[in-house]
Amino acid sequence: MTATIHTINFLLPVVYLITFLFYYTDFYRGDGKLINIKRVFLFISLLLHLLYIVLRTIAFDHTPITNVFEIFTILAFAIGFSYFLLELVTDIRGTGLFIIIISFFFQIISSLFIEDLVEVKEVLKSNLLGIHVITALLGYAGFTISAVYGFLYLVLYKDIKLNKFGLIFNRLPNLEVLEKLSYYSAVIGFITLTVATVIGIIWLPSAFPDFSYMDPKLIGTSLVWILYAIGITSKIMSKWKGKRLVVLSIIGFVVAILSTMLTNFLAKSFHSFY
Amino acid sequence: MKLLAISINHKTAPVELREAVFLSGEETKLFIESVHKNVLKEGLVLSTCNRTEVFGIPVNPETQHSQLQDYLLKFKPSGNLKDDHFQKFISRDAVKHLFSVITGIDSQLIGDNQIFKQVKDSFLVAEEMQFGGYLMRRIFDHAIRIGKRAISETKISDGAVTVSYAAVQLTEKIFSNLNKKSALVIGTGETGEIAAKHLNDRNIGSLTVTNRTREKAEALAEKLNAKVIPFTDLKNSLHNYDIIISATSSPDIIIRKDDVVNAMKQRDYNSMIFVDIAVPRDIDPETKKIEYVFYHDLDSLNIIVEQNLAKRKAEIPKVEKLIEEELNGFFEWYNSLQAAPAIKDLRDLFEEIRADEVDKNKNKFSADDREKLDIVTKRIINKILHHPTVELRKPEEDIAGSSDAVAKIGIIRDLFGLNKNKADNTE
Repeated sequence: MTATIHTINFLLPVVYLITFLFYYTDFYRGDGKLINIKRVFLFISLLLHLLYIVLRTIAFDHTPITNVFEIFTILAFAIGFSYFLLELVTDIRGTGLFIIIISFFFQIISSLFIEDLVEVKEVLKSNLLGIHVITALLGYAGFTISAVYGFLYLVLYKDIKLNKFGLIFNRLPNLEVLEKLSYYSAVIGFITLTVATVIGIIWLPSAFPDFSYMDPKLIGTSLVWILYAIGITSKIMSKWKGKRLVVLSIIGFVVAILSTMLTNFLAKSFHSFY
Repeated sequence: MKLLAISINHKTAPVELREAVFLSGEETKLFIESVHKNVLKEGLVLSTCNRTEVFGIPVNPETQHSQLQDYLLKFKPSGNLKDDHFQKFISRDAVKHLFSVITGIDSQLIGDNQIFKQVKDSFLVAEEMQFGGYLMRRIFDHAIRIGKRAISETKISDGAVTVSYAAVQLTEKIFSNLNKKSALVIGTGETGEIAAKHLNDRNIGSLTVTNRTREKAEALAEKLNAKVIPFTDLKNSLHNYDIIISATSSPDIIIRKDDVVNAMKQRDYNSMIFVDIAVPRDIDPETKKIEYVFYHDLDSLNIIVEQNLAKRKAEIPKVEKLIEEELNGFFEWYNSLQAAPAIKDLRDLFEEIRADEVDKNKNKFSADDREKLDIVTKRIINKILHHPTVELRKPEEDIAGSSDAVAKIGIIRDLFGLNKNKADNTE
């Protein structure tokens, strides 16, 4: 089984790259010839990825959430899967390349550095921890997608203002749609992150003896949570819109990434597991 | 097949001459009536603001283009129109030209989608006037098919190629649902009207018209099923509209930057689109510096138009390939029409000779060999006739009108004395 896992580990970045290339070619050509093939490829990539996660969980006797490279592969899957659902629901098929490339990057980093970890702390095998981490990652996936659409909004906004009618203008959906996609992804991310935080606050103190409310990751996540809470509330109260909202989404995403990076690589925190 | 075609179009004649020779619906019918009696057995007359064309099969095979031209000019005296202003086509080229016209690659605005309907309508008129014969009907089927194929199989009609349509395309890159948006058209000029029509086609939520002369605004509003506001209210009601299209003949700026700043404040910075298609401009270009204001004038809309025209131009070779296919399809049919009777006559003649000779000589053979004699002689004839049959069935590749295939058939009929020219009944 380990051999299979290694093979899939090697294959995953490849299939994501191929899927990305299909989305890219379709975006570039704009003739719609690959419109169904690219979706099939995304589906195959995700199926393979799911199989990989299941096999890893069985073979190494823990959900792959115990270190940053295991988490990256789950994050890659969560982003790809969320996008897949979004594409199915909205039938907006032109923007996949901007999101799948992110899945690809997370996956290739994971594939390069991931190890066959068998020995993990007992506490990390907990089911509650599994739910905590997976909801948190879905939250981050939502924020990632939100930030991508936010970024695309800004690019298209600028292009229209400056009379640049190139590929971006011709292929992207309109500004209102991009704003909506960014907003709803952020809302979904916010809800799942809230669930993750609630579970964390209730459960973590009892599971980790060195738990501290001053933990850098906790502070980072709270900051992200507050940022999105502000953004979503002001949107609901229709005070903010357009550029300001998508900029906030991008800032939220950057803070979220930084907080993950810093706490996992630098800080001595109970949240970094190795 | 002697199909003649003459064409006066944007490539050959300036607009005033094209206008001079333009045939209205009524005139077209009268012209058909007259030309049908005297010059053409069957045909097609197409007249739009960009082109006037006559296609047809002459009653007298000797008829030349010039006679058809003279006939048209006699019917509709158009002063300065000279021989140079006509394009002339014959046979395969004539059909090819018709296909180029219906697919829009011959249009001034490449890929223009109105021409398809105009050609279709002129075929229907020909049919109504009993001017559309056996051949023209077949050409019609192919023309309609190639017209549809060009639209569905190539991008010849994709993208906005008029300023007013580009304006609509632009609004659709900003707003997702035009039926929740309101638009205001300032001025009653033609470009503004067309843009408003496009917005109506896209189910714009509400449409309002304003003009210095209220009567004109009301007349346009009635046409477009729109509301009217007094011109004096313009500045105070700007904030009510998501899309503003301005096309007045005013020499001065009508909407200043301050007006837009105020409007944006009132509407809580919800995006606003200003399309200024007036010359000189109606809206202060500085408004584009305001956040969430999308200001576009003729220059920026023309960028979109130019890009789309370039893309359409790049599609022409694809359309030409389709036209070649359709032409081959048509001429294969036409040729088989000509060749089939000749081939049959030739085979009948050979079989007659063979059967006759076998009959005369069969007593020289034993009873056993007679059957073999029959088989061998038949085989000889089949081998002799194989090559000529294939040659005759080959698609016609003629350009000059007196086609190779027709010539071949004529020679064979002469050489073998197959005098009943059955191909005649196809024309």
